[in-house]
Order: sequence, then structure tokens, then C-alpha cells
Amino acid sequence: MIDLRASDLPLLVLYALAFALLHWTASPWSGAGFFSLWYPPAGLRFAVLWSRGARFAPWLVLAELAADFSAGVIDIGAPGLLQAVIGAMRPGLTYGLALAVTRGIARGKDDTFSLPPMMMGLAAVAAPALNALLVAPIDALLPADAGRYRIGVDIAISLTGLAVGDLLGILVLAPPLLWIAALTGGPRQALPRPPARRAVLEDALVLSGCLLLTIALWRAGLGAQPAPGLLAGAWIGLRHGRIAAWLAIVAQVLAFLPYSSGQLDDATRLELHLGIAAVVLVTWLAGSFSDAQKTARIMLERRNRLLFQAERLKTLRAMSVAVIHEISQPLSTLAIEAGHLARATEHLDADIAESAALVDRKARDLSDLVRRLRRFGGRDVDEPSLLPVSMLLQTACQIVAAELRASGGRIDCLGIAPDLAVQAQEIELTQALVNLLRNAVAASPGETIALRAGAVADEVRIEVTNPLVAARKTDAQPLGAGMGIGLVIARTIVEAHGGTLVRQDDVDTARFVLSLPLVAGPLP
Amino acid sequence: MTDPAASPAAPLVAVLDDDADLGASVARLLARNRMDARAFTDPRALLAILPDCAFGCVISDIQMGEMDGFAFADALRARDPAVSLVFMTAWPTTAHAVDAVRRHGGIDYLEKPIDEPRLIAAVAEGLGWSARERRIAAMTAAFTRRERDVFDLLVRGHSNKEIAERLAISARTVEDHRAAIVTKTRTNGLAQLIALSRGEAV
Repeated sequence: MIDLRASDLPLLVLYALAFALLHWTASPWSGAGFFSLWYPPAGLRFAVLWSRGARFAPWLVLAELAADFSAGVIDIGAPGLLQAVIGAMRPGLTYGLALAVTRGIARGKDDTFSLPPMMMGLAAVAAPALNALLVAPIDALLPADAGRYRIGVDIAISLTGLAVGDLLGILVLAPPLLWIAALTGGPRQALPRPPARRAVLEDALVLSGCLLLTIALWRAGLGAQPAPGLLAGAWIGLRHGRIAAWLAIVAQVLAFLPYSSGQLDDATRLELHLGIAAVVLVTWLAGSFSDAQKTARIMLERRNRLLFQAERLKTLRAMSVAVIHEISQPLSTLAIEAGHLARATEHLDADIAESAALVDRKARDLSDLVRRLRRFGGRDVDEPSLLPVSMLLQTACQIVAAELRASGGRIDCLGIAPDLAVQAQEIELTQALVNLLRNAVAASPGETIALRAGAVADEVRIEVTNPLVAARKTDAQPLGAGMGIGLVIARTIVEAHGGTLVRQDDVDTARFVLSLPLVAGPLP
Repeated sequence: MTDPAASPAAPLVAVLDDDADLGASVARLLARNRMDARAFTDPRALLAILPDCAFGCVISDIQMGEMDGFAFADALRARDPAVSLVFMTAWPTTAHAVDAVRRHGGIDYLEKPIDEPRLIAAVAEGLGWSARERRIAAMTAAFTRRERDVFDLLVRGHSNKEIAERLAISARTVEDHRAAIVTKTRTNGLAQLIALSRGEAV
């Protein structure tokens, strides 16, 4: 449970009001054993939890309880108050749990299913499913009373109704709410491009064709068949992503909900909504999969560009090493001869002696310069060596010093044990540290960045910690948010060294932890 | 370059670099420091004149055309194990530095542009080492194999009895070998033999 900030209170009040209102609008689709087959408050709950993080769930549960009490949904005086309160608390908590589990499973994985669009699709299915599954176990823990006793079929109908209502509510309401949240708050995002006319026409054609087919089947006495809707949803979702999928969902829901709120018996209504739920689910997952694929492709392209860039840098480095080599050969001769001239002319005319001494000094300076350049550009560049961590950190701090001064911040880097060493490529690892420090400076201008290093078991842990500036302080950014190219490079370098780079944020600090295998034994 | 005829016994230094100017420059630098030096640009040319010309020290570049410095070092050592080697390079790497000293017995591994005092010191050390090696080789060349075994144990401080046990021969035979060794080396006593074994002039 996270600490509640004053700025969250208006959100919770608004949430409670909206929750009560949406709860009331759901009543026409109610039936025996379930509250509603179309439950928009679930979408609201899911959207808030997804954007604020699973740890916000307890506060939402309190807001929902407050809404239920004030709207009279739960009567304080009525018998079975405990059951009612626990029943009202269950959805919020199970949703939080489902979101946390989904994110936990996806963390650290690198396939299409763990990309944000697909994760949200999976969470949208997992949350209502878990909610429905936990009804019976939680009821079993409560003191039994005659009024709540149900037979098997009733339980099945009741739970199906619950899951279907929540699922429809989430998939219809949560996406637009999250899009609005992304556009109004948080880092500025580009508006999605308006769709191509051809795509709109194609989707409209497919959708209307399938709706007509559904009507034709129904007229033929086969009932409301979900198959055409499934076909249309899968087509639209896979072809054009989540926005198109959501529009198709809204169109289908708008076509059927007015009908199903009318005079229907419970069984028919449940059957109809099960069909709609299947269509909506397939449509949304297809759209999510398509978007996740698109994200994966963009990541791949970015990685390719990086590789290309790295290849160019490699060529450049090889060229500069070759130039240094070519210079050092004649320079060796020059330096020897200049030294000889300087000594041979010492006792001659002062003017000649001075000229020779000057040539000698300049040849020496140039020789030093070439040796230094070679050390940076060519020497040992492909050979990992034993490096003291304190030296690495110091070099990295020196490199970012200018940017740090410009931002008015400082780096707090103290108490690094001098015997801490890693086996690494010096230039690459320094680059990784510089990238992390640069990110920290950019994220918290003018603040103090803490740089720490220590041995934990058989690893060296280097931590870069920067205070989070209030506006960016969200603990529920999708995985990979704010992951710039610098971080991608740093991670690649660290992983190539057999280490890991993970983000371990606290409430008010961002922290990157770089772990590398510790080298035992004394430094040479 | 000095005239070899002027000081025929002085040990000679060879400078091998495919850059003729640099080779000549280094040779002249050494000459100014009273070391006779000849410059070569082709390792094969250097190897070809070896039978007639024993060098005390060879300064070799590592990156050369067909034959690199290390291959050259192996070929040189095969022909003359008592020549010392100093490497110089414009492409220094840690791996090469270690190989140069450990595997090829280099006295030093110098980075171009060359540090003059370090070069002079390395060549001087190389010449001294080579002279000692040659003295030991010259002295022990006259020994039989058994005499060489006895000599090796003797200069390590073993008594006649211990040597006899180790080599499974009689103490009397050891004494005979010892007498032959003293005669051949024209020394008088163990102290001088030990000095000889270290390449020191007696």
C-alpha cells in the first residue's frame, strides 16, 4: 500500500462518484444471481489501477466502499453486513493482485507477450477471471448463512455473469480512459496519427458484413451466433491494432446492449452476453497482439540502428588507431634525431642551440601525445582487464562533470572500497556508467545524485540513485518507459560483462543497480 | 655505423625495422652511446648473415611484412640461443608485451616513439646477458655429457658423495670428472667454478 498524497484525494473522490454513477447505470442488465452482465465500473477500476499501479488498490477499495454506503448499495442496518462489505472489497483487491502478477511475470522477459500492449490485454482478461474465481473461496471462509447457500448451477451462472459483466466493462471503458490519462498527464506523447481512409473503409465493410451475417443467422432461427463477430474482431484487431479493435468493440456492444437490456429472460441474456464477451475478448487480444508486434518491430529497428552506429564507430576507431600508428613511425625517427641535434648543438651559437632544443621539446611533446592517444583509442581495447571500481567511478564522474556543473547538481560518491575490482573492458564499462549518470542528471537537474559501490556476496553492486522530481513520480510506468538509447547501450555493455542492470525505484528516488561479478584476490 | 674491423671483438647490435629511416636512426643513436650497431630492414637478410656474425643484442620491430617480430625471434633463437632480444612496436598490446618477455625471452618491450634512456639501458643489459651466455657456452662446450651433469650439481653446492648418489656412479668417478672439469676450465677451486657457471669472468 503506497502512501496517499494530498493530490490523490480529488482523484479518489471523483472515482467514488463515478463508480456509484456507473454502478447505477449497469442495473438494466441484471439477473438472478448476478448484478449485471455489463459492468462499466470494472473498466474504471482497471484503468485507475493500471495507471497508478497495483499498490493503489487498497485506496480504491476504500473509495468503492464509501460509494456503496452513501449510495445505499450496502445497507448498514441490514443483516449480512460482513458478507456485503467483503463482497464489495473483493473485486478491487483481486484486480490489484491480477495486475501485480501479470506485471511480475512479464518483468525481465523479452518476447512479444511481455510488451506493454500485450500485457495490458492479458491483465484485462486475468483481472475479471481472478475476481470470479475467488468468489467461492472467500465465501467459504465467511460464516455460512441460509440466504447465501447456492447450488452448483447457480454458482456457475452467477460467476459467469460476474466475469462477463466485468470483462465487457473493462474492455469498453478502460482503453479510452487510459488514452485520456496518457494524453493529459505524464510525459508528452504524440497523438496517434489519423487512420488511413482505406483502413477505415475496410474495417467498416468487414464489421457491417459480419453484423448483417449475424442478423441473417438470427432471422433464420439460429439465435445470436458469435462466430461472425469473432471473425470481424480478429480481422480488425490483427490488421489495425488496439484503437481499431476498441472502435469495433464499441460498435458491437452498441449494437447488442440496447437489445439485451430489454425484455429478455435471464438465460437468453446470459447466453447473448457470453457471445459478446467472446467477441470483445478476441477483438481486444488481436488488437493488443498486433500493437505488441508493432512495438517489437520498432524496438528491433532501433536496435539495428544502434548496431549500425556501433559499426561506424568501430571503423572510426580502427582508422584513428591506424593514423596513430602511421604517425608514430616517422615520429620515432624525428624524436631520436631531434634529441641528437639538441645535444650536438648545445655548445654552438645560442640561436641554433635554442632552435634545436625547441624542435627536440616539440618532438617529445608529440611523442607523449601519440602514446596517450593510443592508450585511449587502441591499446588493450579488446582485452578485459582487472579494474579498480573506484577508478572507474572516478573517471565516469570526471566525464559528466561539465554537464553536472551546467545543471547545477552534484554527485555524491564517497566511501568506495579501494580493493573492489571487476574484470572489464575499461572504456566500455566507463561508457555504461557515464550513460547512467547522464540519465540521472537529465532526470533530476540540480539535484544530488548518489553513486555507491560495494560487494554483495560474489557481486559488485554499483548504484546510481537520483531523487524523482514530483511531476514524474509515478511508480506505474509501463515497463520500458523512459528507456533511452543510453540505457539500452549501458544494459548491453553490462550484460556483455556477465552482469545485470536493473531499476529498483523507491517512492521518491529512481535507482539503477549495476551488478558485475566480483573478482577475488588482490589487485596487481 | 662503425667499422667492424676497428674493434673486431666488440659485440654487435642489430636493429631490425622495416622502416629504413627509423632503423638507421636507432643504429646511430646506439653508436653515439658506444655500441656498435647495424640496421636491417629484412629479417631474412639478418638471419642469412648470422653464421658469420654473432650479435650480442637484436632490437626487433614486431609488425613487419612477411615475418613478424615473434616468428623472427624464434628463428633467431634456433640459430643462436645466446643472443638477447629487445622488442619495439607501434601497436602495443598487453598480450604482446607478456609474450615478448615470457615466451620469447625479450629484455624489454618498447613502445614507439621510443624512450631513449630505456632503449639504451635495455640494450646494455642485453649485451651483458649475451656475453655471460656465450662465456658459459664456450666453457661447457668442451665438457662431456657426464662432466656437464657433475658440473651442474657441483656449482649448486652438492658434495662429491651426494653427486655420486644422484648420478648413481662411484665417488671415485666423480672425483675424476671434477679433475677433468678443473683442467678444462683452468680454474682453481669451487668458488671460481661457481663464478664461471654464472658467466662471470674469472
